[in-house]
Amino acid sequence: MTGTDQSSFLGRISIRRNQVNAMEGYHEQEIEDLELFQKQLSDRFAELLSAPDDAPTEAFLSISWIRKLVDVFLCCETECKAILLMERDAAQISKPPLDRLIPELLERVVKAMDICNAVTNGLELVRHCQKLAEIAVSALEQKPFGEGQARRAKKALVSLMSAMHVDDKESSVQKTAERSWSFGRRSGNKDRHHGHYRSLSWQVAKHWSASKQIHAMTMNLAAPRGPEASCLPAPVYILSLIIVFVMWVLIAAIPCQERSGLTTHLPINKHVNWTHSLASIHDKIGEEWKKKEKKGMAGLLYEMQKMEKLGQSLIEFTDSYQFPGEKEKLDEVAAQVAELAEVCRRMDEGLVPLQMLIREAFHRLVRNRTEFLDVLEQGGPVV
Amino acid sequence: MDGCQSGVPTYEGDLHVVAAAHHIVKALGATKNLSDDLRKILIDLDSHLSMITSNIDSKGGRGLVDVEERLDQAERKIMRWETDPMMIWDSGPKEASDYLEAVDETGKLVDGLRGLSVHENRKQKEILHRAMNILQMAMSRLEEELIHILVRHGQQFEPKHMYSRSIRKDIVYDESFVSVEDEPIKETSSRNYSNDESGECIVDLVHADVIPDIKSIAKVMFTSNYGPEFCEAFISVQKEALEQYFSFLGTENLSIEDVLKMEWTCLSSKMNKWTWSMKIIVRVYLASEKQLCDQVLGGLGSVSSYCFLEISKATILCLLNFGEAVAMGPHRPEKLLRLLDMYETLACLLRDIDTLFSEEAGSFIQLQFHELLERLGESAIAAFEAFRVAISSNGSLYPFAGGGVHPLNKYVMNYIRMFPEYCNTLNLLLKNQHPGVADQVTEPDYGLDASLLTSCPMAYHLRSITSCLESNLHKKSQLYKDEALQHIFLMNNIHYLVQKVKGSELRLFFGDEWIRKHNAMFQQHAMNYERATWSSVVSFLKDDNPGSSSMSKSTFKERCKGFSVAFEEVYKTQTSWSIPDPELREDLRISTSLKVVLAYRTFLGRNLAYTDDKCVKHTVEHVENSLLDLFEGSSRSLRNSRRW
Repeated sequence: MTGTDQSSFLGRISIRRNQVNAMEGYHEQEIEDLELFQKQLSDRFAELLSAPDDAPTEAFLSISWIRKLVDVFLCCETECKAILLMERDAAQISKPPLDRLIPELLERVVKAMDICNAVTNGLELVRHCQKLAEIAVSALEQKPFGEGQARRAKKALVSLMSAMHVDDKESSVQKTAERSWSFGRRSGNKDRHHGHYRSLSWQVAKHWSASKQIHAMTMNLAAPRGPEASCLPAPVYILSLIIVFVMWVLIAAIPCQERSGLTTHLPINKHVNWTHSLASIHDKIGEEWKKKEKKGMAGLLYEMQKMEKLGQSLIEFTDSYQFPGEKEKLDEVAAQVAELAEVCRRMDEGLVPLQMLIREAFHRLVRNRTEFLDVLEQGGPVV
Repeated sequence: MDGCQSGVPTYEGDLHVVAAAHHIVKALGATKNLSDDLRKILIDLDSHLSMITSNIDSKGGRGLVDVEERLDQAERKIMRWETDPMMIWDSGPKEASDYLEAVDETGKLVDGLRGLSVHENRKQKEILHRAMNILQMAMSRLEEELIHILVRHGQQFEPKHMYSRSIRKDIVYDESFVSVEDEPIKETSSRNYSNDESGECIVDLVHADVIPDIKSIAKVMFTSNYGPEFCEAFISVQKEALEQYFSFLGTENLSIEDVLKMEWTCLSSKMNKWTWSMKIIVRVYLASEKQLCDQVLGGLGSVSSYCFLEISKATILCLLNFGEAVAMGPHRPEKLLRLLDMYETLACLLRDIDTLFSEEAGSFIQLQFHELLERLGESAIAAFEAFRVAISSNGSLYPFAGGGVHPLNKYVMNYIRMFPEYCNTLNLLLKNQHPGVADQVTEPDYGLDASLLTSCPMAYHLRSITSCLESNLHKKSQLYKDEALQHIFLMNNIHYLVQKVKGSELRLFFGDEWIRKHNAMFQQHAMNYERATWSSVVSFLKDDNPGSSSMSKSTFKERCKGFSVAFEEVYKTQTSWSIPDPELREDLRISTSLKVVLAYRTFLGRNLAYTDDKCVKHTVEHVENSLLDLFEGSSRSLRNSRRW
């Protein structure tokens, strides 16, 4: 989607509301706005769904794909809020069933803020993996290559694998924290190198669990039926669903505190047109999650998966490597190293902007909540 | 470099040239202020020249054998430690420097052999391969040693300011306004940023003695291209140390949801703790961490600031998130002072933050700080408005018994007494805020002599707050059926207001004119009280015909009776009324006395003929003494007690 799409949509609502506010036919106009909005949503998710599963760039669940998803979320959030609040009398917002739906939405918004922070912490871990992979790459690219470099690469790759596969349970976090100052003997150093990314700052809070947050966010999340489906409860549902969905994808893709037991079922109403692509994306990720959950918790991020696969294979190579090595094998490895280097490069390009984007989403949620609260409390329309 | 490779000398005489060049390079390398690039070039050149020397030697039959011998020697020194359970740097400076020398030698050999690799000599390649193996082993070991040194010599420090932190009285806002006792609050002196906490106090996070060791490890690891390994290890230990310190300060990670649901007393103490930890973390810990990074990694370009950012980012974000959670919470009036504390802390740390994270990569952190500051400011303004609204809307169904100082008044005045401490911040935040009750505030004409303080935005808002308070008190006074009690209530409350203003820095903001006006106001209520209560009582004692000598006995009896009944009635009701301020009570008794006792004495004096009669129930002294019982807050009766 482009910026002009959105601004014209917002302009349309604004002008429309000004013109027809007190006139007959207001409701019809609203329905039209809502339909246009849903059509745009449908297009955006269809575009996300169309991303290739495996491609050097823009792959499904890649960093750039996640950035697009968060962008879609930001746009949708703005438009939904426009439909709900722009030029609207607060009295409409505080009537049933909105008097129940809006506070429920705001509770989800608060949970989503915590998830954004958990994901920001998780991205630190991904960055840490990137640094380790970069060490491996630079060792493997050394000319002339020898056992020393193979060992150097292996050391980095083993750290990388264990950093990826530490489970995100709280117990392991506490163990790390307790152990930290007590080691000093050489034997104690073995696995601490990646331990710090699991320590205190990794936590959102004690006993906090990403999967439980998602579970709580899906409570009471039901598509409006009957006449409600075409008026204000509809955008509230859409916004709620998209918040839950985007947060769910982020948790599945990026490591964060306590993801075990993450649901693979979100209450998506598949009987409306706009949710088709969304539901397909959901199913696809859900399937992936079920497959991967038991194996380790690196997350479904395309780059991490790729890194994991390449890492495994390169560990095998470094394990069995003997100087000077077979030419054929070396060429094969060189291709893998180039691939890993490419993954690192994409992480280097994309991780920091993604982190900032998620922070932006966080701030947006904060503002969003404030605006809703202002309308609810002051009872005046948002201009 | 290419020139070196192509021009391997073949003549005996060249050996001297090479040796001379070698000397020059060594001498140059010893110069202190070299750029890093130049130093690296010299080191490379050094290794190349060594190689050339050995190559020249090889013409004489020694050559690679010599290189191999050097490597063997280095290898022995390095391998010895592979089986030793002791850490090298724990074993003594000699061991450490021997080890570093061996590593340095290996590194040079690797560089030199690489430079000559065009010769495709098999033996040479084998030696290079071996040297790189040894180097890898040594680097791995150095990484372990580094972690060990950092952990073993890492120092936790007791925050100096742990006990001098500002302990401001924690006023707990209570909807019923009954919890605030009117006690003197004296703690302004404890809150003094400028001399208490602003002085950069940098501590040694790692013992100063081992800094040269860490530096030497950094140097050799970076020279051998193991810089990334060094950084990861360094970051990992220091990041964890910071987190340990963070929890040592008693600060814990809280989710936004937790903060939003938190009870006020708990939240208030967390806000205090945040203010305090934030200062220590930024001013002391991070400043020290930055220094450590610079000491160890200075001269390596952006490495130092990269490491610093990685070490501190997570903890900083954690602190910022708590701030965000607080700022988005409900804007209750009780939060105002804590919010201002947080705002001021952040505002005064901004410069430090901007310096600590001055590099481009750190601009993200800078931005987050600035945004949070803005949000805390907005939140503080909202809490200020909520405070005003809470004052205006505080309603009562029943009159406040006894007509004393209303708890709302006590709460508000004790609360705003703290405001002058935050004068600059409040002025900044309130500059563009127009109080909703602007029209109610009649801006007094302070004239040209008024000090600047009385016309600052805070002064304006303070007066608007007390004006809200006054109108609320007027509303509350209407709940009394007895007009006299209305006046007592207003007199008490306005007197209290004035006392609070006069007795604190508030007077500078309210100004003399305001004080004079309000003094006059409560005095007016005192006069109104006297008129409302005593006019009718004293009217019994009035001489209807000032010309004639005396009234008839029956009139006297009637008047006397009327007076005693009225007086007893007043006594009965007004002993239960209360004037908490002893001076004010005393003043009112005196002026009442003057009026009543004088009138009574004159009345009796003028009718001396009848005073023996039993109809004179109270002597002048009785009346005078009885007046002393008024306004004590406990009801008495003259008829029952009969104490004379």
